[in-house]
Amino acid sequence: MRAIPLKSFASLAVVGLLATGCGQGLLGGDDGDKAATANDPIVLGMLIPQSGSEAAIGPYMSNAAQLALDEINAKGGVLGRKLELKTADDACDAQSAAAGANKLVTEGVDISVGGYCSGATLPTLPIFGKANIPMIIPAANSQELVDQKLKHVFLINGTGSQQAGAAEKWIAKQGAKSVVLMHDNTSYSKDIALRTKALLDAPGDAEAVLVETVTPKESDYSANITNVLAKKPDFVYWTGYFQEGGLIARQLRQAGYKGSIMVGDGSVSPKLVEIAGAEAAEGVYATMTQTPDTLEGAEGWIAAYKKKYNADPGPYSNQAYDAVRLAAEAVTKAGGTDGAKVVSALEAIDGFSMFSGPLKFTPEHTLSNGGFQILVVKDGKITLQDSLK
Amino acid sequence: MTQLVWNGLFVGSFYALVALGYSMVYGIIKLLNFAHGDLYMLGAFVGFAILGAVGGVSSSMALPLLLVVLLATMVLTGLAGVALERVAYRPLRRAPRLSLLITAVGASFALEYGMRAAAGADPRVYPVRLGGTSVEVLGARLTLQQLVLVGVAVVLMIGLNLLITRTREGRAMRAIALDPRTSSLMGIDVNAVISRTFFIGSALAGAAGVMAGAYYGKIDFLMGFLIGLKAFTAAVIGGIGNIPGTMLGGLLLGLLESFGTFWLGGEWRDVFAFGVLILFLTVRPTGLLGERVTERV
Repeated sequence: MRAIPLKSFASLAVVGLLATGCGQGLLGGDDGDKAATANDPIVLGMLIPQSGSEAAIGPYMSNAAQLALDEINAKGGVLGRKLELKTADDACDAQSAAAGANKLVTEGVDISVGGYCSGATLPTLPIFGKANIPMIIPAANSQELVDQKLKHVFLINGTGSQQAGAAEKWIAKQGAKSVVLMHDNTSYSKDIALRTKALLDAPGDAEAVLVETVTPKESDYSANITNVLAKKPDFVYWTGYFQEGGLIARQLRQAGYKGSIMVGDGSVSPKLVEIAGAEAAEGVYATMTQTPDTLEGAEGWIAAYKKKYNADPGPYSNQAYDAVRLAAEAVTKAGGTDGAKVVSALEAIDGFSMFSGPLKFTPEHTLSNGGFQILVVKDGKITLQDSLK
Repeated sequence: MTQLVWNGLFVGSFYALVALGYSMVYGIIKLLNFAHGDLYMLGAFVGFAILGAVGGVSSSMALPLLLVVLLATMVLTGLAGVALERVAYRPLRRAPRLSLLITAVGASFALEYGMRAAAGADPRVYPVRLGGTSVEVLGARLTLQQLVLVGVAVVLMIGLNLLITRTREGRAMRAIALDPRTSSLMGIDVNAVISRTFFIGSALAGAAGVMAGAYYGKIDFLMGFLIGLKAFTAAVIGGIGNIPGTMLGGLLLGLLESFGTFWLGGEWRDVFAFGVLILFLTVRPTGLLGERVTERV
C-alpha cells in the first residue's frame, strides 16, 4: 500500500491520456445519438466502492439510488423517458475509479450521480468533464474536489471545511483544552485534519497540540498512540476511514486514554463499533451529515427502503437518493440531457427539497449549508448527539 | 523510552514470525515467495472460520481456546503452503528465476482475490479477542495477552532454531541449501524436505495471522500485503536465509518504526526506518548475520 501516492500519480497521468484520447470521439458520437433517440432511457452512472476496503458502503448508495429511480419511473419518468442506473466499481482507488468512469462514459451515461471516496473521485472529474457529463457527487467531499472549480461538478455532501467547522464547534462546546488530530495522509483525511487545526489555532480555549499521521491498512498503531498520549490530550479527532478508526479507538482505550474520541464522516459505519469492540466504541463522537437514523420525517422513506431491500438504509443512502432526484429535476428543467443545459439548470435550482434541507448551490457548486451534526456511539449504536443548529 | 522499546518488540515479533518463512524458503530454493504474506492472511481467516464453527465461549476460556485454534490453524496453513509449493513452484523449479518470481506474485494475487471471493471484501472481526487492561512495567504499558503472544512467538522461534540446528531434518535442509544436487545424490529426498520447509514456514505465518486476528480483531483479505513486504525487508536486514538473523531483523524493523514514529512523527516513520535500512545495507549488504554466498546459476 506504500505505493499508493505513486499509483495515484500514474493513474492520473493515464486518466489524462485516456480522457483526451477517447473523450472527443465520444463527445461527437454522443450528441448525435441523443438527437436521434429521444425516447431512449436517460442513463445515470454511479461510481461506488463495490470491492476493496470501503465495499460495505456501495450497496447503501446504489440501493437508495435505485429506489429513487423506481419512484420516478413509476410516475412516468422524466420528459416521458425512463431513468436507468448503471453502476461501476471504484474500489476506493484512483486507478479502478478511472477505469470505471471510462466504462460508464462508453456506456453512454448522461449524468453521473456517484462518488464516495474523494481520492477515487478526483481522477474521474476530467473523464466525465471531457464527455460533457454533469456530475452530482453524493458523498465525496474533499475540498480538493471543490478547488478544481469545474463547472460540471456539484457536491451535495458537506465539504471538508464545513466538516472542520462542525468539529471545531463541538470541541469548543465540550470544553476540550488540548486536541490531537490524527489523519491517514489521504487527501480527504488530511484536508479535514489540517482545516480543523487551522480553526483551533485561532484564539480560543482549545489548542491543537499534535497532528499525527498514521499509515492506513496496518494493524498496530501503538507507536502513534504513544506519541498522542505523550501530549496528554483530552480530545482526539480521527479524520480517516472506519477500519483504522476502529483500531485506533480500541488501542487508545487499551493504552489507558480517558478523554474524548471523535471520528470523521468516513468512519461512520457499524463496522467501526465492531472493530473497536462495544466497550471502546462507547461514547465515540462523529462529525457526519444526515444519516437515515438522524433524519427528521424520513420514516416513510426508511420503510420503503426496508420493504424493497429487506435491510436498513446506511450512510449516504439519503444523499444517493437525493442525487438521483436532483438529476431528474435538473433534466426536467433543462428539457433534455445536454450537459451544458443541465449544468445551468442545476445552478439555477433554488429551494429544491432534499433531506439536507432546501437546496441552493453556492457559486462553488457546494451546499450553502453543510448540515454536519454530531453523532455518538450509544449502547453500540450510532445515534444523534447534537445537531449543531 | 521503555514504552517505545516494548511497542517495537511487540510489532517486531510479528514481523519476525512472518519473515522466518520468507527466509527459510529463500535459504533452501532461492525463491522469494511473495505469496508468503498472504499465507499470514490465510491463517487469520482459517482461525476465524474455526472460531466461528466452535461458537461462543466465555472470556475466561478465550486464551486456552485460542492456543488450540492456533495449533489447528498452523497445521492447515502449513498444508496450504505445501499445496502452493506443489502446484505453483515445483513445476518451475528448473525454470529461470524470473518465471518463478512472477509465479509467486501470481500466487499472491490468487490467494488475495480468492479469499475476497470466498469471504467477501468487508473486514471481519474476530469473535474472540484478547483485550485486557494494561499494567505498567518499568514505565511501559503492556498487557498479559501481549506477553503471551510474544511468549508464543519466542517459543516458536526457539523451536524452529532447534529443529534446524539439532535434528536430522534440519541437517537435510541445510544440506539442500548448500547444494541440492549433491544432497540428492547423498540420498536426501529433496522434494520431501522442500515440502516440509514450506509446511513449517507457512505454519509460522499462519500462527502470526491468528495472533494478529485475535489481538487486533480486524482481518481482511489484503492484510497480508503490507506485512509481507515488511517481513521481506526484515529477512533481508537480518541476512536472508539465516534464521537467527531473520529474527533479529524483524525485531530491528519493529524498533526502527517505533523510534522513527517517536522522533520524526508518523508521516516520516517509513522514510526513517527504510532510510536507515538502505544505509545499513550499503555498509553490510549481506545483512546482520548473513554470510556472503556465491550465486549459483
